[in-house]
Amino acid sequence: MNNIGFHIKKSILYIFLIGLGVVCLVPFLLMMVNATRSGVEITRSFTLIPSSHLKENWDTVFEFFDLFRGMWNSLLVAIPATLLSVYFSALTAYGLAMYKFKGNKLIFTMILVFMMIPGQLGLIGFYNLCTKLHLVNSYIPLIIPAIASPGTVFFLRQYVMSALPPALIEAARIDGAGELYSFHRIVLPIMSPALATMGIMGFIGNWNSYLTPMIILNKNDKFTLPVMMATMRASTDIQSEQGAIYLAVAISIIPILLVFCFFSKYIISSISAGSVKE
Amino acid sequence: MKLKKVMALTLAGVMALSAVGCGNTGSETADSAAAAKTETKADSTTQVATEATPTAQTAPTDIKALNDGKLVIWTLANDLISFGERFQEQTGVEVETVVIEPANYPTKVQTALLGGETEPDIIVGEPQMLEDFYDAGFFEDLNQFGAQDYADQIVDYVWDVGQDADGIQRAISYQITPAGFYYRRDIAKEVFGTDDPTEVGKLFADYTTILETAQTLKDAGYRIFASDAETQYFSGDSAWVVDGVLNVAQARYDYMDLCIELYKQDLTAYASQWATPWYMAMAGEVPLLTAETQWGTDDMNIWDAESFNAATEGYETTQVFAYGLPAWGVLTMRDNVGETSGSWGVCAGPAYGFGGGTYIGVSSQSERKETAWEFVKFCTLNEETANWWIEFSEGDTVSLIPALEAHKDDANEVYGGQKLYAFWLEQAKGIDYSKVTRYDKAIGDAWGNAISAIKTGEKTKEEAVAEFYDVVESTYPEITVNR
Repeated sequence: MNNIGFHIKKSILYIFLIGLGVVCLVPFLLMMVNATRSGVEITRSFTLIPSSHLKENWDTVFEFFDLFRGMWNSLLVAIPATLLSVYFSALTAYGLAMYKFKGNKLIFTMILVFMMIPGQLGLIGFYNLCTKLHLVNSYIPLIIPAIASPGTVFFLRQYVMSALPPALIEAARIDGAGELYSFHRIVLPIMSPALATMGIMGFIGNWNSYLTPMIILNKNDKFTLPVMMATMRASTDIQSEQGAIYLAVAISIIPILLVFCFFSKYIISSISAGSVKE
Repeated sequence: MKLKKVMALTLAGVMALSAVGCGNTGSETADSAAAAKTETKADSTTQVATEATPTAQTAPTDIKALNDGKLVIWTLANDLISFGERFQEQTGVEVETVVIEPANYPTKVQTALLGGETEPDIIVGEPQMLEDFYDAGFFEDLNQFGAQDYADQIVDYVWDVGQDADGIQRAISYQITPAGFYYRRDIAKEVFGTDDPTEVGKLFADYTTILETAQTLKDAGYRIFASDAETQYFSGDSAWVVDGVLNVAQARYDYMDLCIELYKQDLTAYASQWATPWYMAMAGEVPLLTAETQWGTDDMNIWDAESFNAATEGYETTQVFAYGLPAWGVLTMRDNVGETSGSWGVCAGPAYGFGGGTYIGVSSQSERKETAWEFVKFCTLNEETANWWIEFSEGDTVSLIPALEAHKDDANEVYGGQKLYAFWLEQAKGIDYSKVTRYDKAIGDAWGNAISAIKTGEKTKEEAVAEFYDVVESTYPEITVNR
């Protein structure tokens, strides 16, 4: 009796989850399918049966710009920016969570305050700064500011406080480990689920980032993918290029999917790994 | 102690990283420069220019020797790419054209120029952006290069759009976009006994006459317009704002009544603008839709030809008499008229109007202003370029009067051999730019919304007009609204 109830509960749960899964996947599938259809077909209706216009869409996209060049440019920005942001945020978060020093609270409050300021506000000033430093048209202004990402610091600090027992670091100190050594060898692995989460979010954010690259980059061959794809909208006949836009978007999310697959393994594997015996 | 060590290491790390970053960019620039050189090697004149040796200029044109060897254009449409390539061919100046999405073009230009960017030598704008750009001082004064010498060579209204509030020339466009009615000559002959553009123009002389014309056509089994948006370019011959006061002239109300009547009395074919039936009506028969089905139904998609044809099989059909479009409509029509090619004509509307146009100017922060001015001149004031553009764009209407004059006898076969360039020139002369304000787009849209609300019966006329006033008042507090 109890067993049947359990099965019914399980079934309902699974049906619900499968439904959710379908809801999440259908838009992706539609995008892939639409990438193979012509603009006219897309405006007609939606279907899951691929059409035969992949080659035309491909040609249209490459007539406008070199998609792979854009991907390479986006990678050049997104990978370093993500790595820097994750590493330095982890460092800051660990410092704020584990060391007791004067002004710790104040610094943390300031970080919280900075989280609330939208970045677009300082756009003109930022551009001005970049001109003075001769950094317009380079990727540095897109990468280096990622080091200071208050949101990531906030998230990681909370994670360190809940997941990292101070006893672990004390044990390492007693065994003679230096502070940086223990950070790299002990803290980073423990933080890896949080780092993976933040890494995925950061990568997606950097990959899709449009406004700052659009403002900072002035050369066609330096444009990142979102900026390149936006120029497609400058063309006169939008309808005929619908399929091509879908194709460009479909190709552009491949790296995001790869990153997600790669990092999500870390999230799962690390959550189950224990480090301290209670 | 420990903390200091950590800090020092971090800082060192940052420095090392940024150094690496710099190194990368450096080599990349070098690479692309090298690539550019190999590309241009084939063309000796180009190479001379790239290496910036002004004295050795051997370009075979009358364009004067240019010192800079390079020009950067920021634009929002693809046209200037072709202009740029041709300029490069003729002068050897290396032209770099960056196309930016129209929606974000003002943001990009504003941020860059306020941020002190000297890179773009040429910036452009559409009429609704221009006033803000003038106020911010983005466009260089063209009079200092002697622009006024050319004042009588460009169609007047284009010249005026290119001037700021103080009458200083800031930008010039290479095209004119006056609006007119494109009508079917065969239907005109059958129903009205004439297909002469002047005579047919009288059928569109004012809003009441248009209604009468529409009724006559309906009785004869035709429809005057495909959609009820065809009159939008002729929606009023007065300024929306006069001396900071909102001005709703009687003509605006007449126009409102026209739209409502067209809709209520089923005088149009309900083929929504830019949708399949709208294009289809250019070629002849089109299924007759109603107010309810004009945006399509569950099994009829008006944006798609196949589904539309299948869903409307057996529908009563009709033919559409006229379309109201600016001069660039010549190209749209040409591509869609199909079998009715040759039986179209173009005539004047109840008021003068224009739509769109790309205006080219020199960035006030450019370091290559002389070259940039040469480019502006090349695009807008050079007869040879104008003739080339007419051919290259297959019928765009240029703004240079000598070129229009030279082509004034060009008969356009799609339009029954009508001499369109002469016609557009005439229409453009009537446009009074002093009636155009920066508020036109927003206020015009609000008025349009009011009209839609009334004609569909959603609101009464009083309610809709009151809401229109509210919208204007809250959007532009600086405008005085006298109800």
